[in-house]
Amino acid sequence: MQEQVRPRVEERPPARAPGEAPERPGRGPTDWWGGWRWGFTSLLIIAGIAAALRIYQGIFTFPWGLDSSTWQFFWLWRMLVVVELVGVGIFTVLWWGWLLRSARDLPERFSHREEVRRIAVFWSLIGATSVNIYFEASFFPNQDGAFHQTLVRDTAFTVSHIPMFYLFFPLGITLAVGTYLYGRTRLPAVYGPWKGFPWSFFLLISATVTEMMQVAMNEWGHSINFANAGAEEFFSVWFHWPFVLYGWLAGGIFALWGETILRLTAIEDDIVKEEAEVPSPETAPV
Amino acid sequence: MAQAAIDIRAGELRQQVFRKYRFIDRKWDFMFWFTAAFVVAAAADITRLLFAGDWDFWTDWKDRQWWMTITPFATIIIPSALQYIQWRAWRMPTGATYTATCVFVASWVGRVVQWKYFVNYPINFVWPATWIPAGILIDFLLLQSRSFIITSVIGAGIWTLTFWASNYLMLAPFLQPTNFIGHTVTVADVQGITYIRAQTPEYIRVIERGSLRTFLQEPQYVALAFGTTLAVGGYWIGQFIGRYLAVWPILRYLKQV
Repeated sequence: MQEQVRPRVEERPPARAPGEAPERPGRGPTDWWGGWRWGFTSLLIIAGIAAALRIYQGIFTFPWGLDSSTWQFFWLWRMLVVVELVGVGIFTVLWWGWLLRSARDLPERFSHREEVRRIAVFWSLIGATSVNIYFEASFFPNQDGAFHQTLVRDTAFTVSHIPMFYLFFPLGITLAVGTYLYGRTRLPAVYGPWKGFPWSFFLLISATVTEMMQVAMNEWGHSINFANAGAEEFFSVWFHWPFVLYGWLAGGIFALWGETILRLTAIEDDIVKEEAEVPSPETAPV
Repeated sequence: MAQAAIDIRAGELRQQVFRKYRFIDRKWDFMFWFTAAFVVAAAADITRLLFAGDWDFWTDWKDRQWWMTITPFATIIIPSALQYIQWRAWRMPTGATYTATCVFVASWVGRVVQWKYFVNYPINFVWPATWIPAGILIDFLLLQSRSFIITSVIGAGIWTLTFWASNYLMLAPFLQPTNFIGHTVTVADVQGITYIRAQTPEYIRVIERGSLRTFLQEPQYVALAFGTTLAVGGYWIGQFIGRYLAVWPILRYLKQV
């Protein structure tokens, strides 16, 4: 008897709002090939781009990446800066444009199932931003420290700066702002426009923007260092420190996880309340 | 009365643990811990690289005066932030160990992929220091003390001493004396002179001045004590990051104009 009146949360099919596609097996909001699909594909795409660039550097750096006055350097490295910046620019316009344009057609009311799927996609985007920050702040800075010990630089556009400063730094801005646009247009309960601008995104976006701006101070500082007798460089030199200070602002990324997990538990509470109000078929009078 | 309140609270918590959820499952845990590892490793590594990187890059820079003064300060900041976040969110005293493990993997990937295979420095010249033993101990201290103040004051000392002791095991072979062009120097000094660094000077030329030799081994212990003092400051910088940049912003919004 006790067993019959207990709400059967797991066995009931999840409700769908009108217009929502029916759930396919293995493609549910929390299935790996459903809501979490972008969680690992975006990670693999970013890691794949980093690996491709590292292989490119391995092939072309020592033959043609040390003397910035050569035409080989121009075509292999300076043009790579252009390709990276144009590529990030095109991706940004297309992705942000799609996020905003497609949001106009979204229904105002949607089911818990759909909101959970959107939170999973949102977490996937946060994960992509996190992976991008790793390539910005650990993988390529290690290369920068190593490479600048093997040559005396004759340009600001050195081989190790090119992927770090002109691909992964601007991509960080694209991902952080794009994640905000996704949250604002798809998760109104947390990031709806009437709530104001979230501090969490303010900090994360500030981190990515100020990191990009710090590139200018970095190169300015290196130009001063070159004038010093000996032209010697410590990696812990003062004009590198703002990269760290601005990077700490990315702590706001933890607030994004916190905000959405609170929403997720609120959805679970709502489901329990709704099911307590509507009797299940098993307990309904015949 | 107090026991009854504890029992009620325990019952509530037990209900939470065994609650059946429709959508919340272990995939959320996995996605959080896995993807957070990247940003944690990045934050910890960039803080170390740009505040104390030179002392971590080369064996001849791992000295007895500056290494132990600067590195504990630079390395305790992000573990402290993660201690706050994980303790606040789950009462898990694992933040420092989690950070140390993430940065251990990230820094070895960096040293092998970039330092060894990109520019061909031998790995026994550019190996990174580890913080994992230090992280385990200050997490244990937080578990026992349940106080960030105690963890900052005592933990900073534990962090500095454990960092030194655990890495000294790896460094010791490179401090053995050898004869190089008629001079008695360490193996690490020979590495620093032999492997050309285009922009960083050999450390022996910068730091091994008269005063350091005059005071014999004393500077090492003075450096450890001063490194502890600085690490207390670093711990509270990390607490600021954890409290006000990571947790405080949750569900707070800037006013609209």
